[in-house]
Amino acid sequence: MFDTALTTNDLIFLAKGAGITILVTAISVVIGTVLGIIFGVFRYQVGAIWAAPLTFVLDIFRSIPLLIQLVLANAFLGTVLQLRFSGFTIACMVLSLYTAAYCAEIVRGAIDAVPVTTRRAARSLGMSWWQDMGNIVLPLATRVALPSWIGLALGVMKDSALVYVVQVTELLKSTQILITRLQEPLFLLMICGAFYFLISFPLARFGGYLERRWSND
Amino acid sequence: MFSYTFQWNQALARLPRMLDGALVTMQIAILSMVIGVVLAIILTMFRRSGNRALSGFATTWVEIARNTPALFQIYMAHFGIASFGIHLSPYMSLLIGITFNNAGYLAENFRGALKAIPDTQTRAGRSLGMSEIGAFRYIILPQMLRISFLPMTNQMVWAILMTSLGVTVGMNTDLYGVTQDLNALTFRTFELFAIAAVIFYLITKAITLSARLIAARLFRY
Amino acid sequence: MKTSYLTGALVAATMIAGAAQANKLDDIIASGTLRCAVTLDFPPMGMRDESNNPVGLDVDYCNDLAAALGVKAEIVETPFPERIPALMSGRVDVGVASTSDTLERAKTVGMSIPYYAFENAVTANEQAGISDWEGMKGKTVGATAGTYEAIWLENQVKEWGEGTFRPYQTQADVFLALSQGQLDATVSTVEVANANVASGNYPGIAVVDKAPMVPDYVALFTMRNEYGLLNYLNLFVNQQVRTGRYAELYTKWIGEGEPASLTIPGVYR
Repeated sequence: MFDTALTTNDLIFLAKGAGITILVTAISVVIGTVLGIIFGVFRYQVGAIWAAPLTFVLDIFRSIPLLIQLVLANAFLGTVLQLRFSGFTIACMVLSLYTAAYCAEIVRGAIDAVPVTTRRAARSLGMSWWQDMGNIVLPLATRVALPSWIGLALGVMKDSALVYVVQVTELLKSTQILITRLQEPLFLLMICGAFYFLISFPLARFGGYLERRWSND
Repeated sequence: MFSYTFQWNQALARLPRMLDGALVTMQIAILSMVIGVVLAIILTMFRRSGNRALSGFATTWVEIARNTPALFQIYMAHFGIASFGIHLSPYMSLLIGITFNNAGYLAENFRGALKAIPDTQTRAGRSLGMSEIGAFRYIILPQMLRISFLPMTNQMVWAILMTSLGVTVGMNTDLYGVTQDLNALTFRTFELFAIAAVIFYLITKAITLSARLIAARLFRY
Repeated sequence: MKTSYLTGALVAATMIAGAAQANKLDDIIASGTLRCAVTLDFPPMGMRDESNNPVGLDVDYCNDLAAALGVKAEIVETPFPERIPALMSGRVDVGVASTSDTLERAKTVGMSIPYYAFENAVTANEQAGISDWEGMKGKTVGATAGTYEAIWLENQVKEWGEGTFRPYQTQADVFLALSQGQLDATVSTVEVANANVASGNYPGIAVVDKAPMVPDYVALFTMRNEYGLLNYLNLFVNQQVRTGRYAELYTKWIGEGEPASLTIPGVYR
């Protein structure tokens, strides 16, 4: 169907870009999830008023285009503070906080979904706060949170396409570089799209499966 | 400690142009949302239709929209389909890209919402003499839209944020495009983008707040 | 305990700020690496070869500069709109990216004396029926966002009062759009236009006319307060011409002929 000038070298080049996409995503999702859980539990625990400053800051990450967050972080850390961070570090920092902002919402919602009566019962049985959190809330809340969390992780992977603005050559940027040289936009874009799809689709399906399975009982 | 000198007045002098850009951003987001909701309803009906070809088409749309980056979809809407000789302005490419994305996500939300509406309602409607489409239109649709009102608000915020991707297809009239243009001219990167960030924040807040007010009015019962 | 952490953090922060204020020329020599911002979709100044490695006149120029400083060169790819932000955020030391020395930019960064001068040409899609630069009136035209020619073209479109101007993020996107027929014409440097037409990558486009602009003098740039480095850059540009390296690079990347003059009659730099 396609007559292409694409060489093995170019495919390796694309694969490297894909590797960067996966690496940035993995780092950001891990750090973002840990932060998100801490923020989410904190917000639930201290109540809306005391958590207001945190809520406000996290809300900013969800209200401003990621592209602007990246440009601003880059300009602020580099130009204003004169710190020497690589583009990769900045990309991971911004994406981690971005992930944390969404993850905190998921965590808070999931804790909310655990019936208060269940938790009271646990505490009346003499469980400590940590026991209650670990043995009652965690398993119940995970069921609620996991499908959304998978969606979030995949969202971060797709949004990581924007880190090209801080000079990180991820998959979409690699594709654009090859388009510049080979001038086969449609073909190269389809390879790129197929790659995202192949990672995202099965995981999204798995998330949907978990959601269905866990909501029935 | 800071060796950087802020020059806010240089950036603030450009505020009127940025506000014009904000209007274009809102216009695109609203249009993409209105068309997106209509398309999503059609996709939902396709998926319920039982017709293999129609539901296959709808499912493909939804899965591509949900499983590839929005930036990719917009880039494709400009440079990809131009390979077939179809030429769209940056504005149209951006609008189509975002609408495609909106419709996909909304259709999935609608599908989730439909699960919450018992099938017996359709049957009740049918036995009252309503047609299949009539039952969907008067019984299912209003409830579906109501249940998915919150996800729709979120999608609207997403649409606003996605307009920032228009620069990759030569868009220079939306808020991000204007900011980028001014940045190329003056290179006051931090100041300009900080102002753009504040405007984006205010727009998204205005949307979530007005959505809450609308919800309070519409769903009082 | 807490105070000691705080003091430690403050000391560290001051040290970082202090280090950044040291002389950039010394910093580069000490670090052993010169990081250059180069735009790699701007043939023949900057592009990629078959193995996707950076090559071009700007790349060679950066390598020469690094060799003169006795350090290793590191090419950092920066699209046009990102060139100066990359410098300001400390991601690169010097810009060798065919940057026009406009007064607006000189408010933010320090420009060396010109190291190259471009003439600009109008390239049109053959279907658009454009035969000279005035033929662009009322058409859909575009150029690379943030470049000298883009700023000129956008003003020209405003002056004509008809037609549309579209800035794309990269030179490659401009030519892609032009060859797809999304744009009727573009203004770019003669070198870029000829290289792109000759490459055969973009069917259906042709150079039709010169654009009536003042030659586009491009300069190396770095932080505007780094006078030591700026002096060095000026002397380096001078030496490149004096030693014949400039002419050599011209022949290598652009072709036979007289390289563009870098002096302006009747005025000092």
